[in-house]
Amino acid sequence: MNPEDILQERLARLEAGELLESVLSGLPEAEAELVRMAVALQAVATVEQSNTAAQRQRLMRAAQENRTMSPQRPRSSWVWPTALAGGLATALACAVLVVGLAGLTLWLNLPQVTTQAGTPAPVVKATDVPVQSADPQAAVLTHVRGLVEMQSADGSWAKAEAGTLIRAGARLRTRALSSATLAFYDGSQATLGPEAELSVETLNAPKIGARAILLTQWVGESDHAVAQSDDPASRYEVRTPSGLGQAQGTAFHVSVSIAQVVRFDVTEGVVEVVNLDVIVMVVAGQSTTILAGQAPQPPVFRIEGEGEVTQTSAIWKIAGYGFLTDATTEIIGEPRVGDWVAFTGHLLPDGKRFADRIVLLHRAIENRFTFTGEVEAMGAIEWTVAGKVVRVDDVTRIEPDLAVGDEVEVRGGIADDGTLWATSIQRVLPNGFRFTGVVESIADDAWVVSGISVTVNVSATIEPGIVTGDRVLVVGQILADGTWQALTINKIESEAFDFVGVVMSADPWIVSGIALATDERTQIDDDLDVGNRVRARGRVLADGAWLAESIEQLDEGKRHHIEFTARVQSIDPWIVGAVVVTVDDQTKIIGDIAVGNWVTVKGNLLPDGTVLAKKITRVSRAQGCLIIATVVKVVEANQLILFDGQTVALSEGLDIQGEPQIASVILVRVCVDEDGTLRIIRIIVISQLVEVPIVILPPNDDGNNNNKRDCKEGPGLGLGHCKDKHNDKHDDDDD
Amino acid sequence: MTGPSELVTRAQAGEADAIGRLYDQHHTEIFRYLWARVGERPLAEDLTGEVFIRMLTGLPRYRPSAAPFRAWLYQIARNLLIDHYRKIGKRTMVSLSHAETIKDGTPELVTLIDQRLTMERVHRALTRLDEAQREVVTLRFLSGRSLQEVAQTLNKTENAVKALQHRGLATLRQVLNQA
Repeated sequence: MNPEDILQERLARLEAGELLESVLSGLPEAEAELVRMAVALQAVATVEQSNTAAQRQRLMRAAQENRTMSPQRPRSSWVWPTALAGGLATALACAVLVVGLAGLTLWLNLPQVTTQAGTPAPVVKATDVPVQSADPQAAVLTHVRGLVEMQSADGSWAKAEAGTLIRAGARLRTRALSSATLAFYDGSQATLGPEAELSVETLNAPKIGARAILLTQWVGESDHAVAQSDDPASRYEVRTPSGLGQAQGTAFHVSVSIAQVVRFDVTEGVVEVVNLDVIVMVVAGQSTTILAGQAPQPPVFRIEGEGEVTQTSAIWKIAGYGFLTDATTEIIGEPRVGDWVAFTGHLLPDGKRFADRIVLLHRAIENRFTFTGEVEAMGAIEWTVAGKVVRVDDVTRIEPDLAVGDEVEVRGGIADDGTLWATSIQRVLPNGFRFTGVVESIADDAWVVSGISVTVNVSATIEPGIVTGDRVLVVGQILADGTWQALTINKIESEAFDFVGVVMSADPWIVSGIALATDERTQIDDDLDVGNRVRARGRVLADGAWLAESIEQLDEGKRHHIEFTARVQSIDPWIVGAVVVTVDDQTKIIGDIAVGNWVTVKGNLLPDGTVLAKKITRVSRAQGCLIIATVVKVVEANQLILFDGQTVALSEGLDIQGEPQIASVILVRVCVDEDGTLRIIRIIVISQLVEVPIVILPPNDDGNNNNKRDCKEGPGLGLGHCKDKHNDKHDDDDD
Repeated sequence: MTGPSELVTRAQAGEADAIGRLYDQHHTEIFRYLWARVGERPLAEDLTGEVFIRMLTGLPRYRPSAAPFRAWLYQIARNLLIDHYRKIGKRTMVSLSHAETIKDGTPELVTLIDQRLTMERVHRALTRLDEAQREVVTLRFLSGRSLQEVAQTLNKTENAVKALQHRGLATLRQVLNQA
């Protein structure tokens, strides 16, 4: 027995109640001292906390507020994999990663809030409803966002509010930018994404005894978290036009396209997927697809991630990797090259990657600028704003009726020669807002758009023909009493939002009653605090969540604020994106910046048109990260060999959660740095199979089996960064 | 009788009583762990409160299949510590006076134990351990966690924890012998 084992054996005896003298008997003095040291430490650890009563009371109050005012909503996998986005240095991010990857929950707190004046502020959604049904034969509708409708007996659809009881026979649908959760009595939950439709066929969900929850999903997407049941007769089934999935105590995602292509993605446990008498067992980390009128396809392992788009066509390049796409690939938000997207996909039998969904998260920020100032001159091809000349052309959106002297915001791109090309020039509204939402109700003096009540009066300009369910752009002002007053409402497909408000909570962020989601690309000014006036900008995601691109403090004095992101061309003097930037003692320079790096410059436009930088921040240009589900075939001291023959080196510093064993299903997170370097960041064990699945890959063009690829030069993982003969860095094998 | 998993399930459903009982069951060990790590009682008390607030907000995401509840709670505490250190911009806090104290004198270990260790002295000594040893010693002997629980909390094998506890105690003995 080695000294470590001996020490532990003695400590265990001590912990079992044996006397110290007896435990020390026969132990060398050096080892005995260690046992005494442990005893001394244990003796120290008798301190008691002094403030427990007050602390417990605070916790109880928070629990109460959480329960009554802050219903939390499960992460919808169609939103975006925020869990993949966070800085991953902390174990907290890691825990979120596990949960996020398991597709379980990303919870957004949406508490009821009031303005500083005490007036109730508009809240995107806060539902005072129980998070679980009180009746085994009913589900409660909760976490309602946007417009959710239930079909009446006569076939018409009526708005369903949070708290509505849903029983067998009910049919529900969600509209654009909307989502809702069915909370069952046994703790199971079904969450509907945007533009989904679902019927409840059978519903009896006791906590003890056989459960029967049978749902039919006609179209759209849903997430299911099925409570564990000890009764083998329990059923939780999701039927679709092309097959059904049944589960016990697991979590899975169902997608039904308009063409009736169905996909089951399993995030926890096992789901049986059935069609045409063919049963496929799908385990955590896998997906299966059912084409209309066909049996379920063999399950495949999934890939998820986020990254920059560098190519769009039949083959997309995201985060440096190629992804095949076809007509079944869902592409949301019209991403373009340079934009940052989230994606989900799967590995094909030949090792290539296929994208099932690509969702725009952030528009590219490179070579873009924003500044505000007074209009000094207006011309056909150029304007002067705050001393700065900007070029305009046919594509520049110029708000009507602007005049010299107006305060405007100019947004656009920086050309290689430093010319500022405006894409939009619009009037700056004090306390202004603009956002896209779904119309929930229309009344003479007030509309509800994505949960936000906006007042309308005779001066508001409203596009004719708008009905409930339409997506609209609302522009207006937040009045002193917190009222959101609409100035214009137009039908539009844009998903952007932009408003000025007061910070009511920081992280989670709530600004003027709007809960804002953030991720690692969200630019948040330093030292923001509750009560600060800020400008929040971002995108409304598919299920109605508001993802902030920036939350910046409003400095009333910085009327000529400018912000742009570009490559550093020179330091001392500073030239960024061909724009000369002045720095002084007050300028904060964040990060180790060299010529060629990308930076964001924030500062003021001086009267002579030059830029005085307040802050220059280096911008991360990492290409993105992927997470791939796979199975361990062999565990060695310094590497894992995966079921497809590739290897993962267990290098020092690699974060491994759980103990990978033979036939473990693992998630591997790989990130691609700015220079294309691959880094395996984390391995998480998510489930254990009985045996390693057999993979037979088709032969290569040269007749060799793909399993024989030599992957020792790279991290492997079926990600195309094995050392292929035509692949020197990573992944071009699809392209 | 409510088992730990049922208590957690009830807490996840938002039952205040269950949340309160989770606090009652775990606040002392979390506080001791944090005090040993930060060395300041008021700060440890504040952080303990924050751990349970984070527990509250994180409960809906918690899945027993991923980790035992206690290991999860320690994860929260560890994450909070990381955030705390990140915020104050350093990993350990040894003042010059403390550092000098550690260098001075070489009393025998037996004498030292007779003197009774105080948490402050232990904390100062712990700062001389590397991070992994410090985590294991704190969880194992100051929080009273079993070898298996420490392994779960730190995502390490039991053998790795055994080695770290041995090295950690040996280093601590050496440091305190020098004190």
